[in-house]
Amino acid sequence: MTTETITQAPVPVHSRGNRKQARRNTLIGWTFILPNFLGFLAFTLIPVLAAFALSFMEWASFTAPKWVGLANFQRMLASDTFWVALRNTMAYALGHVPLTMALALLLAMLLNRKLKGIGFFRVAIFFPYITSLVAVAVVWNMLFSPDSGPINQFLHSIGIAEAPGWTSSSDWAMPAVIITSVWRDMGYYMVLYLAGLQAIPSELYEAAEVDGASAWQRFWNVTIPSLRPTTFFVVVMLTVSSFKVFDLIVVMTNGGPGRSTTVLSQLIYQEGIGEGKFGYSSAISLVLFLIVLTVTVVQFKIQQRRER
Amino acid sequence: MKRTTLAAIALAVTAGLGLTGCAGAAGPAEPQSQDGKTRLTVSVWNYEGTPEFKALFDAYEAANPKVDIEPVDILADDYPQKVTTMLAGGDTTDVLTMKNVIDYARYANNGQLQEINSVVDKVGKDNLAGIDAFDIDGKYFAAPYRQDFWLLYYNKDLFKAAGIDDPKDLTWEKYTEIAKKLSSEAGGKKVYGTYHHIWRSTVQAIAAAQNDADQNSGDYSFMEDQYNTTLDLQKSGATLDFGTAKSQKTSYRTMFESGQAAMMPMGTWYIAGVLQAKKDGKTNVNWGLAPLPQKDSNGKVTTFGSPTAFAVNKNASHSDEAKKFIEWAAGEEGAKAISKIGVVPALQNESVTAEYFKLDGLPADELSKKAFTPDETALEMPVSDKSAATDKVLNQEHDLIMVGERSVSDGIAEMGKRVNSEVLGK
Repeated sequence: MTTETITQAPVPVHSRGNRKQARRNTLIGWTFILPNFLGFLAFTLIPVLAAFALSFMEWASFTAPKWVGLANFQRMLASDTFWVALRNTMAYALGHVPLTMALALLLAMLLNRKLKGIGFFRVAIFFPYITSLVAVAVVWNMLFSPDSGPINQFLHSIGIAEAPGWTSSSDWAMPAVIITSVWRDMGYYMVLYLAGLQAIPSELYEAAEVDGASAWQRFWNVTIPSLRPTTFFVVVMLTVSSFKVFDLIVVMTNGGPGRSTTVLSQLIYQEGIGEGKFGYSSAISLVLFLIVLTVTVVQFKIQQRRER
Repeated sequence: MKRTTLAAIALAVTAGLGLTGCAGAAGPAEPQSQDGKTRLTVSVWNYEGTPEFKALFDAYEAANPKVDIEPVDILADDYPQKVTTMLAGGDTTDVLTMKNVIDYARYANNGQLQEINSVVDKVGKDNLAGIDAFDIDGKYFAAPYRQDFWLLYYNKDLFKAAGIDDPKDLTWEKYTEIAKKLSSEAGGKKVYGTYHHIWRSTVQAIAAAQNDADQNSGDYSFMEDQYNTTLDLQKSGATLDFGTAKSQKTSYRTMFESGQAAMMPMGTWYIAGVLQAKKDGKTNVNWGLAPLPQKDSNGKVTTFGSPTAFAVNKNASHSDEAKKFIEWAAGEEGAKAISKIGVVPALQNESVTAEYFKLDGLPADELSKKAFTPDETALEMPVSDKSAATDKVLNQEHDLIMVGERSVSDGIAEMGKRVNSEVLGK
């Protein structure tokens, strides 16, 4: 903690109407955020609370909701498909988070130099992130096509006769989805890491060099620790987004083949919107919410301990 | 000064938002045109791309100048969800188009549709194909105006080139044999003997119809032969590999229209599609229609299909007008109006069929006409509150069998196990 006293901005000294002015300012402030806050209230906060309540009810969209206590949760824990979806969601997160992080950092290191035309490469790598996700999914599906896709054609050409069936194989569909999502997301996180890298004072590197540290030691003892805040942010964002993955999977595999890529968010959609079991699907979304919350809180705790 | 202006603007914006919110909640006023016509609202999907609606509405307005039909256009993929939401919100659209019988059963059982037995009786139950699907304990809440069923599309030129007779009275065995003969590869262009689209119906609904079996039963041993036939075709390269078709989102239309498939089992809705493609100059395929191949060669043709129907909303603004429209649409006039554009009407009698085959560009040979009169048309999926959940399981397991990850017997056993535990709760 710093012991500096923070100087307040000077308060305008008007003997009259000072308090009135302050209240008016507050009112104006509230008025400015009101439109946005109303949207948040109507489309986020209230639905979230409603979903929480609904998860203890049975509600099939027309009939009045009926209180059923923990029945939805019992049904969920007994449902084979729920466990499959939970396992798949975890598998996706475990693949997607570390791979995206590692690649984003590697690319950021490579592109963190003052070269002619470096901007072009940065933009090129960032581009997938701003491309329509559906387009990305469709194109990668073509690349992954088992017979005529370029990926398997390449694998055949280097002598792999039994190339994987990718999206048409239960074992390879999830890796295919992960490869696609890593390719799409790495540009965005690379930009975050670039910002982090450029904020590291060059004196640190110079000092390390004087002390005779190798490039690897400089990376390990200067770069990595200095990037901690960035890494923390990246991990939280990536984890939350991987637990919420939906659109990419729906377009690429729609949860198939079989149930090999069915994830929780998809199950929530299928049970709720698809089959009208809103209570049951709210119960699953509550579980997803608790998982994301736990992961985030744990990461915050780790971060705080590091800072001490 | 500046602050006041800003605050005023902010307030104005919020107030505006609030007002629009209120207007939205109040909903549209009762539709009434200024010229004394009744405005009848009908829910439809993809109005631009589904010409039957326009054909029906235009013909009805011409016959009833006092009525002005207003389509409520909804995206095809969102249709069931959107209608469900509309009904839950007390929407007053007069006529609701029932895209499939599973949704119909749900709305009817929820008491959201009006009973229209009088309409069905006037049109005549005996002539309406697929009417049984709408029977709920003797009450009808919708009347079908179109009935699609599956038949075999084939490419006459490819048959001729291979020296094979037109596909008359095919059994699955014979069908497999000629599909293999029709497959060829020349100059990098592969021609497949047939194309089976990736839908589970191409195996499961056929097996259910031709074995008179129930897809909600939880016992799927009746599918075994049909799976073996389909997998055999795939292994021999007589049809495009399922994994490829799925990952590339292969269009069945392209497969047939570009001459890459010599045969293709598909629903009658595609007839209008081929006609349109030929009209637009996208294809010059020389096509014919034949009955779907059968289990055995006793000359009886069993296929499957699904009707599309009109129902009256419980909260309709113009109930009597809506019933009048449905009576017309499901009756002979409506049947002729959609026959003109190649859509198969639910009402089947000699004069309607004659009208249908007057269609420009339709193959007029005897076999194609015979394809139009199957002896029996089973429902694609039975009407039940279990159908939606069963459908999901059967889809997932169908994929696994087709990509070769599960043997046919294991896949069928798994389907039974999952449907029994997840759907039937046994």
